[in-house]
Amino acid sequence: MSHRFSSLMGILALAIAVVSLTAIAGQAPTTPAKKAPAVTKAPAPAKAPGAAKASARKWAAPKTPWGDPDLQGVWNDATSTPLQRPSELGGKDTLTDEEAAGFEEQLAFNLTRDRRDGGADADVNRAYNDHWMDARRLKITEDKRTSLIVDPADGRIPPQVPLSPERQKARAERAAANTRFNAGLPERVEDLSLPVRCIIRTDSPPYLPTIYNNDFHIFQSPGYVVIVPEMIHSARVIPLDGRPHLSKGLRQWLGDTRGHFEGNTLVIETTNFRGDDGVTFQGTNPSTFTITERFTRVDPGSINYEFTVADPTTWTKPWTAIVPWNKIDPDEQMYEYACHEDNYDLVHLMSGARTREKKGETK
Amino acid sequence: MNPVQRKLSAVVAGVVLLLLAAVPVLAHHAFASEFDAKKPVKFKGTVTKMEWINPHAWIHVSVKKPDGTIEEWMVEAGTPNTLLRRGLTKDSLKAGTEIVVDGYQSKDGSLRANGRDLTLPNGQTLFLGGNSPGAPGEDKSKK
Repeated sequence: MSHRFSSLMGILALAIAVVSLTAIAGQAPTTPAKKAPAVTKAPAPAKAPGAAKASARKWAAPKTPWGDPDLQGVWNDATSTPLQRPSELGGKDTLTDEEAAGFEEQLAFNLTRDRRDGGADADVNRAYNDHWMDARRLKITEDKRTSLIVDPADGRIPPQVPLSPERQKARAERAAANTRFNAGLPERVEDLSLPVRCIIRTDSPPYLPTIYNNDFHIFQSPGYVVIVPEMIHSARVIPLDGRPHLSKGLRQWLGDTRGHFEGNTLVIETTNFRGDDGVTFQGTNPSTFTITERFTRVDPGSINYEFTVADPTTWTKPWTAIVPWNKIDPDEQMYEYACHEDNYDLVHLMSGARTREKKGETK
Repeated sequence: MNPVQRKLSAVVAGVVLLLLAAVPVLAHHAFASEFDAKKPVKFKGTVTKMEWINPHAWIHVSVKKPDGTIEEWMVEAGTPNTLLRRGLTKDSLKAGTEIVVDGYQSKDGSLRANGRDLTLPNGQTLFLGGNSPGAPGEDKSKK
């Protein structure tokens, strides 16, 4: 018999980690960044990692038997290149070889279980987390960029526009729910975030690397492309026949996606996200948020994954990031993610909160 | 003293530190939420089965106590793909394999442990380092 032992507090800690990752990744400046160069166009294709080496090798992208560009396989997007470039780096968009080597070595040293300093607690925490680490997560992108964001040119999320009072209220309510949850006193099950409830995690587009489980399985049939992320359990079925989007009243956790090919690039556009739980990518407005993603095979072992997110009621302008996807080793395979198997933690979390209340614990 | 870090010029080190600060803190579960750092355990046992479950793989180990009784332990491991990247395959821990587990017991006192290190009879250590370029044991962990 199979058992899972994800403890109540373990799930709590995971949620905190996921929330903090999201929070860190999502910190957009509220005032215009200094010296941000004006960018009037999307990054040139030559900027894309792998583009140059692809042309140098004169490699021909494969086709499916029915003639579409063939993107099929299991790909991994792990990298330690941060989403945003540190402001202090200014216009430095790539590292030198020495800087890149130093960065990877220092990051590995900071995280390795072979470090023994910092006392017993730090030691066992490092060793424990090392179990989960995808070693590929320690690598910077091959082109040694200082940010995954390539547009704007400063590598940072553009300034936000002023939020409406309604959205400010919604954000405050979500923050209060997170505070209750983190204190171990959720009032209702919706106080638990979507990842904790095993509804969506890193399968929600756009795709960004995380600590582990960074695989994506793409398969195709005539008229469709399907993307199955390793975490957690969704299959994103993308029609290519030009059908219109769903009506605006039909909203989904992963949005509504339509695709087409431009040359060898799969271009997919997504809208119709749900926002009734207050959780959207980077706090965007689900009514106005759109994503355009581009998948291009640039050599036998990699896909160039580029996404542009736009929301005129959240950011002053759209922004674009490029994440390399690398084919997994032949001896690897993608495992189903057992998020809900024997998972009674929602019940435990709620009943634990009521028990604490009876004992007089407050927020 | 940092034994891994190479000597970097001040300029390079400055850039490296700035970029490191931008990398999100990497954490999975807090160890202390499930396991007890004050309950280190080390035992020899025989693998009865391994469950390749994503995200929590589990190694089941049968442990013979000095008084002849048997304890059935479960040892937590990382995700299947993390294990595969470290050279652990379905053939590495077949039923009947004798291993030494060095880890920490769960807080609730049940027979579950976080396996910091697993050692095979031939001395090979699994899960040892291997996640970082140049980390000790990187190659030894590969089968």
